Amino acid sequence: MKKQTHKYKIPVLLSGKVFLMVVCMLFLSMASKSQQSTLVAIGNSSDAPNDLALSELKSILMGEKQRWKDGDRILIALMKTNTPIGKTTSSKIYDMTGDEVNKFWLALVFQGKAQAPKFFSSTEELKDFVSQNRGAIGILDKPVSDPEIKFITIDGKQSF
Amino acid sequence: MRINLKTKIWFTICFIVLMFSFFTLFYFPNQQGKLLINDYNTEVQNLANTVALGVKIAITEQNFEGVQTAIEFVKGDPRLQFVSMVQYDTAWESGHSNYKIKKTIFKTFPENQHPSPETTSNDSIIVKEAPFKTEMMTGSIMLGFNTKEIVESKEKIKIASIIVSGIIFFIGIFIGFVLARNISVPVLALRDAANRVGEGDFDQKVKHMPNDEIGELGKAFNKMVEDLSKTRKELKEKNLQLSSTISQLNHTLVELKNTHLQLVQSEKMASLGELTSGIAHEIQNPLNFVNNFSEVNTELMAEMKMEIESGNYEEAKIIANEIIDNETKINHHGKRADAIVKNMLQHSRQSTGQNQNTNINVLASEYLRLSYQGLRAKDKEFNATIQTVFDGSIGNINIVPQDIGRMFLNIYNNAFYEVNEKRKTTAGNYEPIVSVQTKKSGDLVEIRIKDNGKGIPEKNLDKIFHPFFTTKPTGEGTGLGLSLSYDIVKAHRGEIRVESKEEEGSEFIIQLPIA
Repeated sequence: MKKQTHKYKIPVLLSGKVFLMVVCMLFLSMASKSQQSTLVAIGNSSDAPNDLALSELKSILMGEKQRWKDGDRILIALMKTNTPIGKTTSSKIYDMTGDEVNKFWLALVFQGKAQAPKFFSSTEELKDFVSQNRGAIGILDKPVSDPEIKFITIDGKQSF
Repeated sequence: MRINLKTKIWFTICFIVLMFSFFTLFYFPNQQGKLLINDYNTEVQNLANTVALGVKIAITEQNFEGVQTAIEFVKGDPRLQFVSMVQYDTAWESGHSNYKIKKTIFKTFPENQHPSPETTSNDSIIVKEAPFKTEMMTGSIMLGFNTKEIVESKEKIKIASIIVSGIIFFIGIFIGFVLARNISVPVLALRDAANRVGEGDFDQKVKHMPNDEIGELGKAFNKMVEDLSKTRKELKEKNLQLSSTISQLNHTLVELKNTHLQLVQSEKMASLGELTSGIAHEIQNPLNFVNNFSEVNTELMAEMKMEIESGNYEEAKIIANEIIDNETKINHHGKRADAIVKNMLQHSRQSTGQNQNTNINVLASEYLRLSYQGLRAKDKEFNATIQTVFDGSIGNINIVPQDIGRMFLNIYNNAFYEVNEKRKTTAGNYEPIVSVQTKKSGDLVEIRIKDNGKGIPEKNLDKIFHPFFTTKPTGEGTGLGLSLSYDIVKAHRGEIRVESKEEEGSEFIIQLPIA
């Protein structure tokens, strides 16, 4: 009989642990979701526009639009796809996984259809690149304070 | 088959030109083409490797600069036919037990090109693959470069080779003409000139020689002919002089021969003169006998006549018998004198040179007696002991008796002269002895003539057989006796030598072959 009692207790305990794990995952998932929602676009203050439509931003980041209105070449700066910002960028802008983004850019560059974007491991590097290169545009998770960097609103919103 | 120099030159030139043409027309372009292709393959492969590396870095590092640079570099090359990224996928069979690698073209530049993943190199295109492998993707870069440039280069090399070959051919022909003119013509001229010189024309000279080794050869030839001509002229003169000298020498030789004969005859006559006394003494005895017995017979015949007239026949018969005995003796002594005279005549006559079987012992003995008697006739005080040991087993030997006799006479005369001279100068009991010994020794007869005179000084020993060498006072010897004796012995294939000690005497040893 005792054995039977134990038999019944174990699933109860296990089901408790599973419940906890599910709760944690949901929390993490929510936290991740909250991260994805905080992308911002920055640009070099010299020629980047103040505001862009999301579709226009996507067109730029997909390599379809390659020059600003003043004729300067657009230089894309992105976080590497294995970083959280990079992953968010891949899903929100490209609607692809990180590998798919890589493959996407590899195809474009290989065929010479677009200027290859610069991928960075840290936000500081990305910020420096944007501040130092005319025509540069980058995607970060939050606005930065730099006289050489312009904060670009997307569809009139600070983040997207 | 005889190939002349000109042909050899042409053969050589043609061979060189053909070899060079082969190299320039076939071997060199072929090698150059292979080199170009190899270089091209390497270059294309390196480009493919670079692009593949760029792709790998782009995928793994998300750094697209490398691949962009490589791609831009490749795109800028006019030889580019296509550059494709091939993706390798593992395709499992339905049972998931086996798989195969499925190759698909991921992207190609330019887009209008559609190469197959299995495209390989051919005459018009070089295709190279460089694999890459990342976690995200495995594949290769396939680079296609056209061979138009290579083909054009090969064509250019071919045309250049043909032009070079043509130039070499004409240069070869030109060199052939020049060599034939500069080598063959002068060499042939030299040959012709040498032939004419060989035929005796020493006025030959080669002209218009090139200023090189052949020219030097020509100069040397001209000098040689000049020297040869000069030498020939000198030789002719020398030859004439030599002919004249030979003629004079021949004349002198004839004179010498005559003189020699005269000298020999003089020597003979001189020895004959020395013999005269001995011979006269020898003849005197039989003549005395002949005269005495003749006178006795005259008296006996007168007595016999008286006895016959008185009728006393018995007494007449006895006297007649005595006369007969005396006549026999007269005849005997007359023959003896006759023999002596004949010997003398034989000695004085020219040698016949004919070999005769002669008893060497008799000959030696006869001349020993004649020589001794000759000296005694001249010098009544001279007396000498003569010792003879003759080997009776010798028998006759084949010699020219007149010549060997003359040899004996010369040596005997010297021996008796020496012992007599020593007798004159030696006080006390000196007994002059001359001994003669003959002995058979194998195929030889050895004759030893020994005296106990004053001997021959050692310094003269090697000269005594020289002509005109004499130690006798002037007028007593010609100096030819021993020289002639030496010649006689040599003519008989014999040997003559002398052993002598001063104040003890000399011994002449003569060896003559029996046969």
